Amino acid sequence: MWRKPNEGKPSQPMPSSGGGEPYSPTVLTPAKPEEPLRASPTPPPPPQVVPSTPAPSMASMILTPPSSPSNVSKINAGLKIHGEVSGDTDLYIDGEVQGKVQMTNGRVTVGPKGQVQAEIEAREICVEGTVEGNLKASQNTQLGPASKVVGSVMSPRIGIADGARFRGKIETVRAPRSPKSVASEASRVEDQQETIGAKAE
Amino acid sequence: MNWTVKTRPITLNPQRAAKPGPPSPASTTANTRVSNGLKEFLWLIGDVPRGRVLDLGPIWQSTVNFFVEQDFRVSSEDLLRAWKDFLTDEEERIRAAAVGEAGQRLSPSALADRFLETALQYPEASYHGILAWDLFDYFDPAALAPFVDRLSNLVHPGGAILALFHSRPTERFHRYRIINEQSVELIPAPTIAVHARVFQNRELLSLFEQFRSSKSFVGRDQVREALYVK
Repeated sequence: MWRKPNEGKPSQPMPSSGGGEPYSPTVLTPAKPEEPLRASPTPPPPPQVVPSTPAPSMASMILTPPSSPSNVSKINAGLKIHGEVSGDTDLYIDGEVQGKVQMTNGRVTVGPKGQVQAEIEAREICVEGTVEGNLKASQNTQLGPASKVVGSVMSPRIGIADGARFRGKIETVRAPRSPKSVASEASRVEDQQETIGAKAE
Repeated sequence: MNWTVKTRPITLNPQRAAKPGPPSPASTTANTRVSNGLKEFLWLIGDVPRGRVLDLGPIWQSTVNFFVEQDFRVSSEDLLRAWKDFLTDEEERIRAAAVGEAGQRLSPSALADRFLETALQYPEASYHGILAWDLFDYFDPAALAPFVDRLSNLVHPGGAILALFHSRPTERFHRYRIINEQSVELIPAPTIAVHARVFQNRELLSLFEQFRSSKSFVGRDQVREALYVK
């Protein structure tokens, strides 16, 4: 007689969908800001990215995973902030922000419930909610399928999911060189100079 | 810009020239349409360094990719959806207004003027090319003139507008995205506006009289691609 296998049963219960709002990260559950881009009732094609130079690999088309949960600051739904938010950590916004968001070395994610009326400047920007303001990213910008953006986007790479609503300009800019690559370039030049010096001797 | 002076043929970007081998999947889908109007449009604006293009349809990754790879700057504004949202809000306003308050219906051209207070807000002559896919057929004809005036102001002298018109009422509403320099993909979409009218040539010439020249391509699918050069 057939027995229902037990291995198919999920070990942990799935988070509740919240009445059509599949992404409602709380403080207890670590935010997964990249998930809204992938999961939707009709799964959109994987976001592509506009390359400047050089063309990015497929691996770089998906946003890099966020830092450890402890490193992600959150503005949860129901919270309103007027003013400037700045720092070096990653930021997840599911509340309302008006003013300016500046996380130069971090990643800013506007969640499905997030409503931002501010300029956002960050390393990576991912929008699943609503933004009125200019987006300036030093690495990449992702507009999710349910995103609504009014403003300009300046980013070396931009990914736009089908269904995204956007009004404004898109400008791809060259990605700034990271200090690490600059340092490795400098050490390479020094090595070359030493080799040349040794040959001359 | 005078297209009788320019030499042909020009490929926008040699890297994007047709490659030998099997066609790409995009070019074999049933909803892909060869667009001579797009080809001509790109030929017209292709030699503008760091040109600017305004797409009046929804934003698509492939369209943005296409223009960015050609070193264009892209702006996007889904005008038809914005217009539809505006009309919905306007209806709500009228419904909510108490008797005697400012709840009167505006004329189509007054509505268009009010809508344009917030839409298409760009500096004059700031675009070398404007893509107006299924757009003018879907507006109330009485509201159309202010839109064309505004678009005319936005086009840089020598720039062009590519617009699509249907020679018969459409069965299904589509959105368009660029696949390559002579193909667009028709994406079936929920109807956000009904096809308002079929334009005659004379009416179109009158509507776009501010433009220096026009050229149109009629396809077997009864879609007319019209190019208006400022």
